[in-house]
Amino acid sequence: MFFQQVINGLTLGCVYAIIALGYTMVYGILGLINFAHGEIYMLGAYLSIIFLGLFTVAGITSYSIVLSIFLSLLLAVIFCSAFGYTMEKTAYKPLRGSSRLSPLISAIGVSIFLQNFVMKTQGATDKVFPYKFHFASIDFLGVSLTSLQMLIICSSFLLMAGLYLFTKFSKTGRAMRATSQDALMASLVGINVDRVISVTFIIGAGLAAVAGMMIASYYGVINYYIGYIAGIKAFTAAVLGGIGSIPGAMIGGLALGLVESLGSAYISAEYKDAYAFGILIIILMIKPSGLLGRSSDQKV
Amino acid sequence: MKRILFFLIISIAVLAYLSACKKSEDVIKIGVAGPMTGPEAKMGIDFRSGVAVAVDEWNARGGVLGKKVGIVTGDDVSDPKQAVSVARKLVNSGVAAVVGHFDSNCSIPASDIYDAAAIPMITPATTNPRLTSQGYKGVFRVCGTDDQQGRIAAEFAVKSLKLKKVAVLHNKTTYGQGLADEFKNNLGNSVQVVYYGAITQGEKDFKPVLTAIRELSPELIYFGGIYNEAGLLVKQARELSMKQPFMSGDGTIDPKFIEIAGAEAAEGTYLTFQPDPNNIPSAKEFISKYRSKYGELGSYSIYAYEAMNILLSAIKAAGTTNGKAIIEKLHSMEFSGALGSIKFMDKGDVQVSPFVVWITKDGRFVEYWKP
Repeated sequence: MFFQQVINGLTLGCVYAIIALGYTMVYGILGLINFAHGEIYMLGAYLSIIFLGLFTVAGITSYSIVLSIFLSLLLAVIFCSAFGYTMEKTAYKPLRGSSRLSPLISAIGVSIFLQNFVMKTQGATDKVFPYKFHFASIDFLGVSLTSLQMLIICSSFLLMAGLYLFTKFSKTGRAMRATSQDALMASLVGINVDRVISVTFIIGAGLAAVAGMMIASYYGVINYYIGYIAGIKAFTAAVLGGIGSIPGAMIGGLALGLVESLGSAYISAEYKDAYAFGILIIILMIKPSGLLGRSSDQKV
Repeated sequence: MKRILFFLIISIAVLAYLSACKKSEDVIKIGVAGPMTGPEAKMGIDFRSGVAVAVDEWNARGGVLGKKVGIVTGDDVSDPKQAVSVARKLVNSGVAAVVGHFDSNCSIPASDIYDAAAIPMITPATTNPRLTSQGYKGVFRVCGTDDQQGRIAAEFAVKSLKLKKVAVLHNKTTYGQGLADEFKNNLGNSVQVVYYGAITQGEKDFKPVLTAIRELSPELIYFGGIYNEAGLLVKQARELSMKQPFMSGDGTIDPKFIEIAGAEAAEGTYLTFQPDPNNIPSAKEFISKYRSKYGELGSYSIYAYEAMNILLSAIKAAGTTNGKAIIEKLHSMEFSGALGSIKFMDKGDVQVSPFVVWITKDGRFVEYWKP
């Protein structure tokens, strides 16, 4: 049972981690908690279902289901990235010079707007993922692992590794790290800070879209308010790992998934959410900057 | 000049007020309250469609007491706080009676408000026993109650399935927990409850709790809750290679349950519910009318339709929209309609509420077992 619970927690933790990356990247660079991030994840889930529906109508699904799932994922990522870019330009950039609270409130506004917009246009009832993955599960020593779970875990680790290498070695990644250390200094040495911020939002939103598609296919049912609780959980994961730190978000997400799953198995499922937030309080009391967080003097 | 303008505005305002009053008096307003948005929106919308069919029929016959019938919709989003404010809003808008609400934890607090305003309320779907045991004269239901439902489910598990080990889950709501407890308490000594626990409504991941249940290998998993979570529970249990049948109550009997779980996973799920309206001869006319306008029947559409018909017949018999007079009539009259004959007992429950066990078969619900 223990290993089964680890697998359950890992799958969920991977999704948390991917969403948490978007929070942590934006926080690292702007010092802003982007509360609309959970809604982008919800948007990604809806878009993947919408595109998959369109492909079914167009007949691509009957031709190849893998191709159409891949295409709808790609389109959802592109759409959400474009949305992340636009959101930054319209809702956050005009407020950049003002007090820290203003962009935060603007983010909450974007979140409320998106939730209601999706509710109005897509309806308030649950949407069901049009394609059911056959639960061809591998049973190994009492552990059931579905192919979809494997896909989610593998692709999440690939994405996380890719993002880590990108920030570590690419030119844009270096510029991102420089901006997160000191935006003013970065601009003085010739880094286009505006561009870096846009790239951050684009990557974060793209990752959220991937997470959205994963959840839509894994649970098979979504609604317009899934972004709220997922956003809060992912935010918790980001804080747990140390907000601003990319490896921290990954570890925080996985830890959160495992704590929820093991807690509900061995203590009681009734308090599932309480474990996540309980562990957050404990970590913040012992190590306020989170598991891998930098203390502020190191940052400068 | 100023003075003339002032009088002009005042007189327009008075005229507007008077005409508004006049307009509202031509219509007898009935409130329809339920979850029109949110996780259980489908239930509320199915209600309203059922009620709308009844209203169309009555208006085609010339209305009641020489007036047209109109619906005032209240959306409680399955939230008790919202239910109370919706109830106040309906009372303030001058409804003569209310059809609603859906959830037990909405109907119960809302019934306080309707009772204080002496407005009769008939719920088509709230099965929690507590609703009608509060001592309110004007609270009725056309469906059965959870103690009857839980008893039938337990009887089925013991007598027909001859089970020895069961797991019981609920969703922490008044309805879900009430039903799960009724089931558990009626099982008797021959059945061992190996797991009793709760999940959170709106949650999507139930694998941890299901994995814990899998270890105990019960022969049946009983769930007190609504179709969303029930669908996900069944789906995820099958993904964990769990083969046990599921059993649930009337909150799960909805096509969305099969859609979410997938027909393959939902196969063989037992559900307690009222008998199939398609087998009731007197319901044929309603079903065909509903289908032509709103599509497939929701689980409670016919109950909402019947509740509306009963209210309007009582208003007609009372000859007034006074709440007390309507309540009096509701207690004394016997109604016959699409569901056959209905007579309310003192508490406001229906006299006969024949729950039966349904089964999910090839992606559809069919009647399976009668006690």
